[in-house]
Amino acid sequence: MSRFRYSYDQLVYYGEDIEQSIDRLARFGYDAIELAGEPTDFDGAAVRRHAEQAGIAVGSICSIYTAERDLSHPDAAVRAGALSYVKSVADLAAEVGAPTMIIAPNAVGRLAPLSSAEDERAWAIEGLRAGGEYAASVGVNLTLECWNRYETYWLNRLDQAVELWTATGLTNGGVMGDTFHMNIEEDSIADALRRVGPLLNHVHLADSNRAAPGQGHVDFAPILEALGDIDYQGYVTFELLPPSADPFGVMRAGGHQDFFDRFTEQAITRVKAVEAELAGV
Amino acid sequence: MRFGASSFIWVSPFTTGEAAGLAARVAGLGFDIMEICIEDPAQVDGAAIRAAAEAEGLQVSVCGAFGPDRDVSHDDPAMRRAGVEYLRTCIDLAVATGSPHVVGPMYSATGKARLLPEGERERQRGWAAEGLREAGEYAAEHGIRLGMEPLNRFETDLVNTTEQGLDLCARIDLDNVGLLLDTFHMNIEEKDVGAAIRAAGDRIVLFHACENDRGTPGAGHVDWAAVADALADAGYDGDVVIESFTPEIQEIARAVSTWRPVAASGDALAVDGLRFLRERLRVPVT
Repeated sequence: MSRFRYSYDQLVYYGEDIEQSIDRLARFGYDAIELAGEPTDFDGAAVRRHAEQAGIAVGSICSIYTAERDLSHPDAAVRAGALSYVKSVADLAAEVGAPTMIIAPNAVGRLAPLSSAEDERAWAIEGLRAGGEYAASVGVNLTLECWNRYETYWLNRLDQAVELWTATGLTNGGVMGDTFHMNIEEDSIADALRRVGPLLNHVHLADSNRAAPGQGHVDFAPILEALGDIDYQGYVTFELLPPSADPFGVMRAGGHQDFFDRFTEQAITRVKAVEAELAGV
Repeated sequence: MRFGASSFIWVSPFTTGEAAGLAARVAGLGFDIMEICIEDPAQVDGAAIRAAAEAEGLQVSVCGAFGPDRDVSHDDPAMRRAGVEYLRTCIDLAVATGSPHVVGPMYSATGKARLLPEGERERQRGWAAEGLREAGEYAAEHGIRLGMEPLNRFETDLVNTTEQGLDLCARIDLDNVGLLLDTFHMNIEEKDVGAAIRAAGDRIVLFHACENDRGTPGAGHVDWAAVADALADAGYDGDVVIESFTPEIQEIARAVSTWRPVAASGDALAVDGLRFLRERLRVPVT
């Protein structure tokens, strides 16, 4: 019996029908799927029905913060568009029965403030609050994500995310950690997770090269130990992506075949084996 | 094993005017080598820098800065030519400063992380091999080695891993052309950092010892014991340089995406890192 519930981010199944993705995850023993945050791509009720039939949950929504979905952009129209995107993802989460959705204060790839850092912080807090209050109204929690230095100038480390989350005053959610980003930015992945403690409400696991655990050099034992010690109750979700500055481009070109069956199976098998070893089984 | 510090920890761009101050600082912190980055060759006088370094008992290490206008794998032959010419200038500066090598990601312009069809990337690797062979032959005539540095996926699409670097070495096929390995990039790209170091073996021209966040070596989660063992197995007893980038100069901070201070100061990073590396990378006496 696993201590944790496992999920896999459907983002990397780019180009595949959602039913097929759900069936694969059920086949390999997953508890849930993480859905890409593209509300117009999905019929929420149908996804929920299919997942129920397959015996897995929709655990979370992985929002995608493109340049048009930037909560701290100096242009008020862009911020308004970003907020309506956040609300549409919250609606999707409610429809599919996912308890959690990812949120970020700016667009992925933004490597400089477009205004002053102070203004951007104030706009982000305003947007996170409005989005969070709306999500609460439909029964959904937020989880604030950090990215590595090449993807954002702002939230690179979990302590920065905790600080920003606390400043919003929101109570429906917390902060998440992604081991691919943390391998670049944190002094110790396990210690950083422990420091977040009870505010940690979502986790992405990937190896150092963003492939399945076992493909790189991350030691997952102290990470699982830290999650156990802080009594982590969320899903352990694998977010795996191809090795490129533009993983979506690689996927559009079809260069991600390993991430379907092979890595889906390897990820859960490997990490459950680490879990069993820690439990002394 | 001798230890060095990169000029990027404190200054950018490095110019002759900085040489005496930097040499005094680097020597004062206990290093043996001052690595200088040649951003603008016109502002760098090799003989004067050598004199400044020697006055402090330091050796110079020459590292190239590969911007978009000097790119041996560019589509445009004029840019490729400018790339080779820049490398020849760096080789001349290595001779003048007494550096045994020229190192850096010399196969492309840094920051070109594009999505390319594999055929196109192959074509660009071919151009890189062609230009670097020409530069390598010129370097050999002057007794200089070239160390090509693999960079992580966010900084280049051409050479991310040691394996890809060794493949490029094989295509160039010159004894004096090898690799600069940097643990910051290896932490992101290598499946097994130790195995990659062993595979590089005697192709290692220079080693950059950097923490996973570019902070003080020893303060992050790089497995330094594994690095030390692998360097010993590879028979590497050459120079080890700490490279980090001052967050105080906006241009360089942006170029390498350093958005927060990764240590209390450049001096603290250098001196604490040096103490740690001298202790941990000591090659066992056999």
